[in-house]
Amino acid sequence: MLAAPGLVFVTLGLLLPLALMLRNSLNRYDPSELMISAVTAENYLKFFGDAFYQEVLWRTVWISGLSTAICLVAGVPVAYFLARHVSALAKRMLLIVILVPLLIGNAVRTSAWMLILNDKGVLAAFLGLFGHEGPLGLMYSAQGVIIGLVSVLLPFMIITLNSVFESIDQNLEDAGQSLGAGHFTIMRRIVLPLAMPGVLAGSVLCFILSMNAYATPVLIGGPTFHMMAPTVYQQIAKVMNWPFGAALAFILMAVTLILTVGVSVVVQRRYRKWSE
Amino acid sequence: MRAGQSRSIRIGYTAFSMAVIGFIVLPLIFIVWMSFYSNKILSFPPEGYTLDWYRRAWALSDFRNGFFLSLRTSLIATVVALCLGLPASFALVRGRFWGRETVSTVLMSPMVVPGIVGGSALFVFFLEVEFLTGWRVAGTSLGLIVAHSLIALPWMIRLVTTSLISVNPSIEEAARSLGAAPLTVFFRITLPVIKPGLIAGSLFAFINSFIDLEKSIFLVGPDSTTLQIALINYLEWNFDSTIGAVATVQIALITVLLLITDRYAKLSRAF
Repeated sequence: MLAAPGLVFVTLGLLLPLALMLRNSLNRYDPSELMISAVTAENYLKFFGDAFYQEVLWRTVWISGLSTAICLVAGVPVAYFLARHVSALAKRMLLIVILVPLLIGNAVRTSAWMLILNDKGVLAAFLGLFGHEGPLGLMYSAQGVIIGLVSVLLPFMIITLNSVFESIDQNLEDAGQSLGAGHFTIMRRIVLPLAMPGVLAGSVLCFILSMNAYATPVLIGGPTFHMMAPTVYQQIAKVMNWPFGAALAFILMAVTLILTVGVSVVVQRRYRKWSE
Repeated sequence: MRAGQSRSIRIGYTAFSMAVIGFIVLPLIFIVWMSFYSNKILSFPPEGYTLDWYRRAWALSDFRNGFFLSLRTSLIATVVALCLGLPASFALVRGRFWGRETVSTVLMSPMVVPGIVGGSALFVFFLEVEFLTGWRVAGTSLGLIVAHSLIALPWMIRLVTTSLISVNPSIEEAARSLGAAPLTVFFRITLPVIKPGLIAGSLFAFINSFIDLEKSIFLVGPDSTTLQIALINYLEWNFDSTIGAVATVQIALITVLLLITDRYAKLSRAF
């Protein structure tokens, strides 16, 4: 079968290691022997018994939720603008402008934000022109991390929403208008309900990506700003506590899954009511 | 361009969108600008301009070797993704077999599983293989190539399947009924039609492998550090215009690759 080589490769390179990691999360950690084979829930209990890790999870969740919300508010008008107000050529060019920052990689993009947010950086110098003095305090802060995350996630949101807006029949908007609806009424009553699947898809994508963000919290948040993905890395690669690191990874994926599925179900139920 | 929509609404949309796009792009413009500053200590506005940072970045073996290692790794990963992805794409588009959806989900899963999770799983797996067999994979270029091929494969499959769907099978049938051998049909009919998809798929596979941080961070070794890891290692202790120089080279490379991709495929389709 033609797909077999790829299938074997992904199974050996991803699925088998993931299955092993799930098994490892039930093992016991020992500082001298690293890992002792066992079947125990102690790694999961350790997470839920330790206020520190719960705070890390909670911080990851609220930062991701807030970043996603900001992306939604900022992304909807831009996606609509690209779908309705721009010529094909301009759209193609703007799309490249949006995609370059997305595909430039987390290391380069985050270092660019460090240059802006730094206490002696671009933003401080700019605000200095207006008489602002003293440190900005954006580096090593939640605000700084959210700014960095939003800039990574916005392109994803814009592109997802844009393709949905383009699939909406423009005649519907014209009909609304000819019946006397103002622009915001049309958006609220016609466009956004129709675009709901895309809004949901874009938000879920942004939320998942920021739940798993690594570079932004590490570089902008600094060593004392803990989020889940850097903590997984720390436990697995530095502390070498594989059982606990594995448990952390699965808790992260499970929480992400439960929250995204939960929100999707709620939104879809409301959306069905709307469209009836 | 709706005649009916009022001018003020259009201006509002344009202004808001430009501000948002500016927010996304401006940091990159500043980091390119910074790479030419002559100041030793970063401050604004700059005192003058120089190309010294590029010389310095080149002189640092971490960056130079990292760049070439990244190039090599991503090129090999792209070739692996092509060899595995092209036949798989054919099976997914043309094949009618039980479990096709599952096969597709599995092949795309490296894109869905978060990089840190996939990376840590692979890292522990490699080390366990090493304990059992003595065969060292983590920290070698083989380990990196495996990880990067996993990153590249779903992008290849996504773009190649999209272009394969657009091939009308009846053209191939016509060629076959006129006596063309299967390989002739493939090389003379199918391949030319899906060439744009293959090019776009390869470029996206290459780019996403080149910029990877989350998987690579587990698998780099003292002699095999990719450019992205060299960058964040450097950032941990320093912040000067050397970073700007490296960033500028990468921005130029990615922009050129994206412009090429744009000629062959609708960019938004890759997401």
